[in-house]
Amino acid sequence: MKRRDEVLVGLMLILTVIIGVAGTVWLARGGLATGYPMYALFPWGAGLKNGQPVLLAGVNVGFVRKVELVPNGTLLVTLSVKKEYEIPDGTTAAVEPNGIFGDQLIALSPKLAVTTYMAHGDTIPTGKGSATTGEVLTKADSVAGEVQTLAAAIRAEFVTGGGLADIRKAIAELSTLTAQLGTIAADQSRELSTTQRQLRSTLASVDSSVVDSTLRAFRTSSANLAQLTRDLEQTRTQVSSILSKVDSGPGTAAKFLNDPAVYARVDSLLLRLDELVADVKANPRRYINLRVF
Amino acid sequence: MLETTWRAMHGAVRTTLTGVGVYGYYLRDIIRSAREVDTWPRETIRQMRVIGVESVLLTIIVAGFLGGVTAFQTRFQLFPGVQVSAVGLITRQSIVLELGPLLTALVLTGRVGARMTAEIGTMRVTEQIDALETLAYDPVAFLSLPRILAALVMLPALTMLANTAALVSAWLTLILATDVRTVDYVEGLRIAFTPFQVIYSLIKATCFGAAIAFVCSYQGYIAKAGAEGVGQATATAVVITSVAILTLDAIVAAIFAPFVQA
Repeated sequence: MKRRDEVLVGLMLILTVIIGVAGTVWLARGGLATGYPMYALFPWGAGLKNGQPVLLAGVNVGFVRKVELVPNGTLLVTLSVKKEYEIPDGTTAAVEPNGIFGDQLIALSPKLAVTTYMAHGDTIPTGKGSATTGEVLTKADSVAGEVQTLAAAIRAEFVTGGGLADIRKAIAELSTLTAQLGTIAADQSRELSTTQRQLRSTLASVDSSVVDSTLRAFRTSSANLAQLTRDLEQTRTQVSSILSKVDSGPGTAAKFLNDPAVYARVDSLLLRLDELVADVKANPRRYINLRVF
Repeated sequence: MLETTWRAMHGAVRTTLTGVGVYGYYLRDIIRSAREVDTWPRETIRQMRVIGVESVLLTIIVAGFLGGVTAFQTRFQLFPGVQVSAVGLITRQSIVLELGPLLTALVLTGRVGARMTAEIGTMRVTEQIDALETLAYDPVAFLSLPRILAALVMLPALTMLANTAALVSAWLTLILATDVRTVDYVEGLRIAFTPFQVIYSLIKATCFGAAIAFVCSYQGYIAKAGAEGVGQATATAVVITSVAILTLDAIVAAIFAPFVQA
């Protein structure tokens, strides 16, 4: 009985110690194979605690193992990175908010198209993190300040400076103008109605027999005009035929117009006539021999 | 009127001081009884089995439900926008720092403490303790010291098992009944964890174990004659132990809480 008690108690205590130590090591260091250490220095790390995740390009590659304030006032953060992951050269580390309630994480942003890696135990350069809640609130304060300034300017222009009164006055004037336009429109409407009535009356007083007579005269004139058009067409045809004959026919006119030889002979004839006239002027007695008796 | 009030206050103070005094004498007797090395070691092993080994199943069942409910409630009390890993963090801190040691101690107060008072009280009313004294046995060395030592060792062990069972139960509950993934839960478990948090839990468990064994064995030791006396002693022991545990919980938290933060 005594031996059995000792065995049971010893077994339970050993089991408890193993569970306690193994659990504590697993939680604190991520197990016995904890990966390799990397370091990062940050000027500010509010809310940074051990155990918080380390993300490389958004993928969880480890956790924060230790956070310590070094004498020069910066935070030395020891990261534990899983052995299956390497940190590319040019990667920068930043403290970024994890959620909106103050939890933090370490974001490692790799440089693209890099095939070389940092050595285990290197210090990762610090990059710029995304906006923190405080920065967002500061920006919101700035926006609120600008809105306040704008509101003050609007108040100065519209309330203190009388802009609002001017607007009210303009609205009142616009109302008056609208009323006047309404009156004018009513007057114009009445005038238009009168004109319409007069036009109807005029149209009603037109004699239809006169209109018929006019239309018949117009038809006759149209018929005459059509006849005239036909006559002109006939005349045009005849003139065209004549011109065709003149242009290409065997007649005298056609030859006169188209045959260069005729032109040459006429030109020669005219030259000789000029010579003859000149000779007659020079020697009239050669050609005129007037005798009375 | 003034005289009546004065007498009442005087009586209350005297009763309190007397109570502290008799507990002080009892503590002195326990320390003295440590010299009886032929008496208490064997009984200590037996009490370790009774207090520890036989309470393992009950402790794991209680812790299992505790962890599952804590994680489940935590998940559904989170505000939208809070990262899910917060469930692991809150569950771990709740269980390891507070609920694990506290509920284990309260459960063992009922199971172990009441039994302890009843056993010793029965021995008292049946004059077995007087017989031990007649036989030159130190009854404190045989009855009280082994129980206190056993409780001091086994309460931390049971608390460690309870913490583990609760965290495992919480993990199973979360992955089976909620949208929390294992990676989120593990990430939360590791956030801001320091080994001192486990030590803090064990410090509490040790204090609670001492309170259970000390108060319950003393109440049995001073039990009045008769079955009613034993029942009265048992009830008193459970009440005083429960209050003592909660008081110690507050005192330990006030002392060690600043060191728990990561």
